Amino acid sequence: MKILLPYFKRYKKDVFLTLITIVFSAFATLYQPRLLQQVQNELLADQQQAVIRDTAILIGLGLLSIITGVLNVYYASRITQGVVSDLREDTYAKIQTFSLANVQQFSSESLSVRLINDMQQIMNMIMTIFMQLIRMPLILIGSIIMAIVTIPRYWWAVVVLLALIMGLGVVAVKQITAMFDRFQMYMDKISGRTGEFLQGVRVVKSFNQSPQEIAKLNKDSDELNEVNIKVGYWFSTILPGAQLISYLVISLVVYLIGTSILQHPQDISVITPYVNYVLTMLFAILLVGMAVMQISRGNVSLRRIQEIMDTQPDVVFNEKAPEDALGGSIEFDDVSFTYPDGQQPVLKHISFAVAPGQMVGIVGATGSGKSTLAQLIARLYDPTTGKIKIGGSDLRQVNEKALRKTVSYVLQKAVLFSGTIADNLRQGKKDATSYELERAAQMAQASEFIQRYDETFDHEVEERSANLSGGQKQRLSIARGIIAGSPILILDDSTSALDAESEKLVQETLEKQLPDTTKIMIAEKIVSVMHADKILVLDNGRLVAEGTHEELLKTSPVYQEIYKTQKAKERKEEL
Amino acid sequence: MSDKQKSLTYLTKYLKNYKKPILISVAFYLIVTIAQVIAPSLLGQTVTNLSAFVKGHGSLGVFYQALAWMAGFYAFNSVATYIAWMMMTRFNANANNDMRKGLFGKLQRMTIRYFDTHQDGQILSLFNSDLDNIFNALNNAFFEIISQSLLFVGTIIVMFVINWKLALSVVATTPLILLLSWIIMKKAHVYLDNQQDRVGELNAYINEQLNGENVIITQGLRDQSVAGFKKENAKVREAMFKGQFYSGILNPLVSGFSLLNFAIVIATGAYMIMTKQVSQAAGLGLIVTFTEYSWTYFQPLTQVTSIYSMLQLALTGARRLETVEEQEEENTVPDGKTISGVNDAVRLEDVHFGYTPDKEILHGVSIEVPKGQSVAVVGPTGSGKTTIMNLINRFYDVNSGAVTFDGVDVRDLKLENLRSNVGIVLQDSVLFSGTVADNIRYGKPEASMDEVIAAAKEAQLHDFVMTLPEQYDTPIENGQDNFSTGQKQLLSIARTILVDPAFLILDEATSNVDTVTEEKIQKAMDNVIAGRTSFVIAHRLKTILNSDKIVVLKDGQVIEEGPHADLIKKRGFYYQLYTSQMAFE
Ligand SMILES: Nc1ncnc2c1ncn2[C@@H]1O[C@H](COP(=O)(O)OP(=O)(O)OP(=O)(O)O)[C@@H](O)[C@H]1O
Ligand SMILES: Nc1ncnc2c1ncn2[C@@H]1O[C@H](COP(=O)(O)OP(=O)(O)OP(=O)(O)O)[C@@H](O)[C@H]1O
Ligand SMILES: [Mg+2]
Ligand SMILES: [Mg+2]
Repeated sequence: MKILLPYFKRYKKDVFLTLITIVFSAFATLYQPRLLQQVQNELLADQQQAVIRDTAILIGLGLLSIITGVLNVYYASRITQGVVSDLREDTYAKIQTFSLANVQQFSSESLSVRLINDMQQIMNMIMTIFMQLIRMPLILIGSIIMAIVTIPRYWWAVVVLLALIMGLGVVAVKQITAMFDRFQMYMDKISGRTGEFLQGVRVVKSFNQSPQEIAKLNKDSDELNEVNIKVGYWFSTILPGAQLISYLVISLVVYLIGTSILQHPQDISVITPYVNYVLTMLFAILLVGMAVMQISRGNVSLRRIQEIMDTQPDVVFNEKAPEDALGGSIEFDDVSFTYPDGQQPVLKHISFAVAPGQMVGIVGATGSGKSTLAQLIARLYDPTTGKIKIGGSDLRQVNEKALRKTVSYVLQKAVLFSGTIADNLRQGKKDATSYELERAAQMAQASEFIQRYDETFDHEVEERSANLSGGQKQRLSIARGIIAGSPILILDDSTSALDAESEKLVQETLEKQLPDTTKIMIAEKIVSVMHADKILVLDNGRLVAEGTHEELLKTSPVYQEIYKTQKAKERKEEL
Repeated sequence: MSDKQKSLTYLTKYLKNYKKPILISVAFYLIVTIAQVIAPSLLGQTVTNLSAFVKGHGSLGVFYQALAWMAGFYAFNSVATYIAWMMMTRFNANANNDMRKGLFGKLQRMTIRYFDTHQDGQILSLFNSDLDNIFNALNNAFFEIISQSLLFVGTIIVMFVINWKLALSVVATTPLILLLSWIIMKKAHVYLDNQQDRVGELNAYINEQLNGENVIITQGLRDQSVAGFKKENAKVREAMFKGQFYSGILNPLVSGFSLLNFAIVIATGAYMIMTKQVSQAAGLGLIVTFTEYSWTYFQPLTQVTSIYSMLQLALTGARRLETVEEQEEENTVPDGKTISGVNDAVRLEDVHFGYTPDKEILHGVSIEVPKGQSVAVVGPTGSGKTTIMNLINRFYDVNSGAVTFDGVDVRDLKLENLRSNVGIVLQDSVLFSGTVADNIRYGKPEASMDEVIAAAKEAQLHDFVMTLPEQYDTPIENGQDNFSTGQKQLLSIARTILVDPAFLILDEATSNVDTVTEEKIQKAMDNVIAGRTSFVIAHRLKTILNSDKIVVLKDGQVIEEGPHADLIKKRGFYYQLYTSQMAFE
């Protein structure tokens, strides 16, 4: 709950006005039966003047309750939607300070559930508080006092009743809160499963595995259902349970009155009001109970939001450092790295240096740590030990904006976002002109296919770039990477889905047109890195060799083996 | 179908399986409602008996008896409530469970085209928001509506029986209220609909952004991403505010009107007395009675309007879900032919195809893959290679021409049969949550551990798996894959090797795998491929040199075709590709 306070403060004025309107409409609700009774009495007593006066008041009260009621809804809606949407926004902003590892720990689906479903629960909670909870305690306390005052002798009956119902309530709230916790967890799971299915739908279909997917989801869904039913059972027990307790207490009190009626004959007249007060009390308790349930549910969700808010990003940048781009040099000093949830180091004691403008190739077997190394340069993770410097500054000391300006990293798996091609390219440079778009596309060999679309750069890309071929995706991703002209460019196997011809053209263009850019090329194909100033050979997380193509061919057995597998069948002359 | 019809179709579809519990619980609830109306008179009886006793013409025994009746009645009432609620809880939860399963099951049957053109998050929001809305509404509103309608109708009947003129005065404002409510509800409906659509969009945005978080971070797009979120969020806020406001004001309006109505009743009564239609004494009594009725008459209206937004959100949810359930499904060709293995050839016969009507991608492609042969397809990116695979596996269907297996059009084959004969290693590899072993045997869940290991060995994945903390039992959590890109591809290959398909399609299966490993796989696969019909798409020409035939596809047309040596001799497009990629001594 604490987490909401600052948000309510932002809507002080609305909270104040809601409270006032609540007071008015509560007044209207409470006064109305009295007034009505008064009118009825006056009618029976045939007091015409009074009837006319009070009827007019009744009309006034009606209008007042409409106006205050509408205003109450207006302000309550403003608070609810304001608080929830502000909270949602801050939560998302917080998520955007997370490191990649943080996001993965939560999983993107769970985060979506929290931002959508949990927020909905919180919204319901706030609505309950402002539209119901505030006036219920008044009625509850009022009826308790009245019940006791009516027959003071049996004050203990009211206490027993309250104690029993409270006891029941406390047990139930505890149980149900735990279940709401599980409910949200299964919600995460189901969302995760569905998200996973949507991403792998082609695999599911091509292996005819829908039954398996359905079985997995049904299992989770059944478990969620189990929770739902249990919560429902508690509700279904508590409501009639509280009812039964009240009825029994009522009957008991009436019985006691009966047995002692001769000593207290005046008690006859209080039986009916007494019963009415107890029933009002019950009604109020139940409503309060419902509200408490809603709140305990909202609280579970708030805790899940709090979890996000309390997460310390693994990777923290130095906000005080200047935002200007860094230089183009890269230095690894005895860097070792183990993934947060990993057991063995993936990179071991890596040291090397790259001068600005150099082109460096990285080769090595699958899983040898090439992408990991690139991720460290982009500071998606921090090295476990050792130090990385870019442009002479320790990565731990730089400003995030400076680093992003300096390093442009084209990921191994090209990811584009739904939107136009231009939108996607502009992610590399917000204010890129159409000339710049064109140039970047040209360099990435993408303009040829972009030009074929009628809308050229305004062609829409679907989510997961479903309407592009593998190579088209990669080329757009490369174009996005080079459009900003960052001092350091990392291409992580970024031409793997390109045909040989386009691949060669991309390589040549980059070499020619970006002479001052430090280029890190991770590649499986030797031809891609043959001309590099330096090639790093990774083997099982170790830097086993370093040098030019010619040098490595002579000295590095690992490199030689890779090269051997890529040689043409024929000699050049034979072709 | 109109929106309302859609919602109702949806709800009836899922509730009709619970006819019996619904009827029983409704019956119990009706009893409870009636009991609540009767209870006060039993109390009255008890009081009467007691006062009779006090006055001396009765015994305490009669009072006890009445009291016992009352207590029994109360107890019965609680028990009936309990039963009604228990049953309602069950069928509501179960129906909701059916809806969730139904939706997921529906997704399983939908076409690839749907998924290619819709955002995941939109679908997720049906799970995250709409299903929940329906559940809440049924839970809170189901009995409420029943008992309130009963009270409503009951009150009307009783009123008209007693005095129809005054009864008319009670219902006099109702048309006005209905009109007003109708106008407001129409507005609220629009905004609540709008609200759920915006929530869907927000969910889609979040889902896409977070799934691409590595791009967001490395491209320095965090601020932009937050800005985009704010925009979507503001739309949600706007829609939700309007939805909550318009649906919320119904209640104070109606309860305000109930007060105004008293005035009308009183005025009508007064008029009747003045015009001597009733005697003054009787008239006054009537007015008092009817002000009471006016109160009971409005109770149901106020109660129901207070849960209106819940109801409307459920209807909106039902409509959104029904819209998905109405989507076209894959034609599974239930009474189609079946084949087992390829006995002659797989052929593309003059295939024309485009994803959209206005843009053809394949322009009359014919390719033959004879039994036992391996045919490679190479060509520039975007030339249509993956598209061909989409057609063979019927992710999409040809516009004209045909894909045939042993002369049978794939559209005449049972879909499941076709796909079980075709094994594909897709260009993009995906992992599912579960263990490593579960992932390898994904296509054949009943496979033994030995089979799993054998497949992993062939795909050169075994050594890596053995380095994992729990080897084959290492869990893969969604979104948290601890595999390198190449390793994922190896796993996809192992997955396909394990199911041992008759017709194998490799779509750049090793594009991210290093060439040393690739060569090893190739050797292992040579054994697998030997005698197997296969179709290999590759940019790395080294892997396809030994294919029986290489087809060069460019701009959706076959431009060259033949074994490696022939194509080299031809000095055409293939020659160019080959020389630009290979390292030469
Ligand atoms: N789902 C889709 N909707 C619309 N157009 C699509 C879709 N999938 C592919 N395309 C378009 O169809 C053409 C052929 O794509 P395809 O994926 O078959 O190419 P490809 O030969 O496999 O290329 P690559 O080597 O890059 O993987 C491309 O222009 C692509 O943009
Ligand atoms: N998030 C992660 N958590 C734990 N381990 C990981 C994670 N990502 C990768 N690994 C492991 O780290 C090792 C190095 O992975 P990396 O992605 O750097 O390989 P790579 O050289 O880029 O391979 P490829 O050529 O296949 O892309 C692999 O063994 C991989 O299984
Ligand atoms: Mg990699
Ligand atoms: Mg492709």
